[in-house]
Amino acid sequence: MAIEKINPELCTGCGTCVDSCSMDVIRMDEKSGKAVVKYGEDCVLCGFCSRDCPEKAIVLTPVMCVPPVVAW
Amino acid sequence: MSIERIYQTDVLIIGGGIAGCFAAIKAKQEGVDVILVDKGYVGKAGATPMASLGYLVYNRQWGTDLNACIDAVSQKGEYVNNREWTELVFKESLSTYEDLIAWGANFPVENPDGAPYFKTYPPFTIVPVGTPTTGMPGRHQAEKVGVKIMDKIVITDLLKTDNRVIGAVGYQLLGEDLLVFVAKATVLCAGFTSVLKGDGDAMAYRAGAELTTKEYAYTWPAAGKLPGGRRGVAAQNVFMRYKDSQGNNIDASNTYEMDLTMEFLVHAGRAPIFWDLDSATPEDIERMRKRQDSAYPWDPWEFDPAQGGRIEMNGGDGGMNVCSQTGGIWPIDTKCATSIPGLYAAGECCGTRYIGGYHPAPGFGLTGSAVTGNRAGRGAAEFALQNKRAAVDKEEVARLKNILATPIERKGGFSPRWTAQMLQNIITPYYMKYIKHGDRLKAGLTIVEFLRDHVVPKLYARDRHELWLAHETKNMVLSAEMVLRASLFRTESRGNHYREDYPRRNDPEWLAWVKLQERGGMMELWKEPIPREWWPDLSRPYHERYPRRFPGE
Repeated sequence: MAIEKINPELCTGCGTCVDSCSMDVIRMDEKSGKAVVKYGEDCVLCGFCSRDCPEKAIVLTPVMCVPPVVAW
Repeated sequence: MSIERIYQTDVLIIGGGIAGCFAAIKAKQEGVDVILVDKGYVGKAGATPMASLGYLVYNRQWGTDLNACIDAVSQKGEYVNNREWTELVFKESLSTYEDLIAWGANFPVENPDGAPYFKTYPPFTIVPVGTPTTGMPGRHQAEKVGVKIMDKIVITDLLKTDNRVIGAVGYQLLGEDLLVFVAKATVLCAGFTSVLKGDGDAMAYRAGAELTTKEYAYTWPAAGKLPGGRRGVAAQNVFMRYKDSQGNNIDASNTYEMDLTMEFLVHAGRAPIFWDLDSATPEDIERMRKRQDSAYPWDPWEFDPAQGGRIEMNGGDGGMNVCSQTGGIWPIDTKCATSIPGLYAAGECCGTRYIGGYHPAPGFGLTGSAVTGNRAGRGAAEFALQNKRAAVDKEEVARLKNILATPIERKGGFSPRWTAQMLQNIITPYYMKYIKHGDRLKAGLTIVEFLRDHVVPKLYARDRHELWLAHETKNMVLSAEMVLRASLFRTESRGNHYREDYPRRNDPEWLAWVKLQERGGMMELWKEPIPREWWPDLSRPYHERYPRRFPGE
């Protein structure tokens, strides 16, 4: 759902995605030195993390955690 | 929360979108020290980096007529725009466009005849925005001229001494520090409410500033989530033909003024609405492809405009729109000073009312933000150069630090995410936001007052991330109260504010702006008459003055 995962095998720990995310969904894991999804439920699918990741390590799916509901 | 750091500067800019970057850059160029803070990363946060649909430019050399442009805003907006600001935004748009180009923004030419603007929004000339959008170029220029940028800083309240704003209080989202900013002048550039959280409006309100025009919200024709993400939205923006559930055509191409056509349709029970790709010509398809590719090339989901069919619109917030409130902090002059000395406002949180009751076309928001950012930055720098630094009231700092920390020091309470969702369920449906009635507004206000008085004081944060959500939620509840009270106060219909119980425009009684301010612990509202020289001609019959018909009038 939304940001699915950050592939640890591709992630180099550059931290670009942490900057790119204005919803503070992604943090650096102190032990592994890599980026992890910490607050996935707040992802709004702006797509900047996957756009900006130099290693193409981030997987998104087009489903919001809080899906919009329509009147019909 | 224990480590407190104090940052002193001449001008503090809160919010680093296009308004904040212009304000920071222009203030710095006056020779003062500038700190620019953002709760995200400047250049990638807020609404600015997403804004690809257009940039308004008035350029005499392109053959547009300034008076025709200003008159169009007034007529489409049903005369609640501030014409002085409307004129300023048009006149100063060109220099901001040229600045952005110099800073590295990309404005692609998409018109087959080579004109650098869309031909579909007469009399306005709206320039397509490509990538990079206007976000990162603003950051790079700010860095280049020596602005100190501090990312991932949550500002919770403005700091005052003796009715002068002297800075702000906040904290590091990713660190351990609590921060006190002491500045001679502060510029709020925190963006709009509804899509963003209205932090700027809320902080200004709590500091005692006057606000205005909270009863109006933008619309965006059928900008729900299509299959195909933003590339679908971009394509839709240049091809707006729909059908309702009974097969009636809805051509929204000329309602780029973004009126309530879709909302009235939903209200009448004629949804679902279908995007009518079957009726797209090869030229339409080509235009859609071009727009997708230049506006959102990085969006991960493909959308083929040639696929045909009728696509059911499947997004939105109970109506058709996820759009933002207009209005904001009342500027007392054209330098964007607010009613509190030392406080300036720019961008979408500044209530200049340069547009009226309808959004005239895409692209106005970005340009208005750049122009006001420009003016506020210079105004704030001038104030800083002319005024001494004020003493910090330590008790006031302690009071604000306590407010900042309360959610994270609680042992339990209410979830900010739940609270925000309950609030949005009340205020975002079309029948509260656009198609209003006094009874529903009062019902909504009853719930909002409960959230304000019972839930917000007990918001609970497990960490600094949730603390940020708690403060945003508090600001959203306050904004909702402003919107509902302003909507109740304007007892007529005009522009995108429609009251079923008052379905007509009421001239001249309601040729006025609604203002509000905190007084004695209460939210007080009053009317500010619009200058007579900006009124429509009252000798013209009502139906000529207002060509749009509302139901029930």
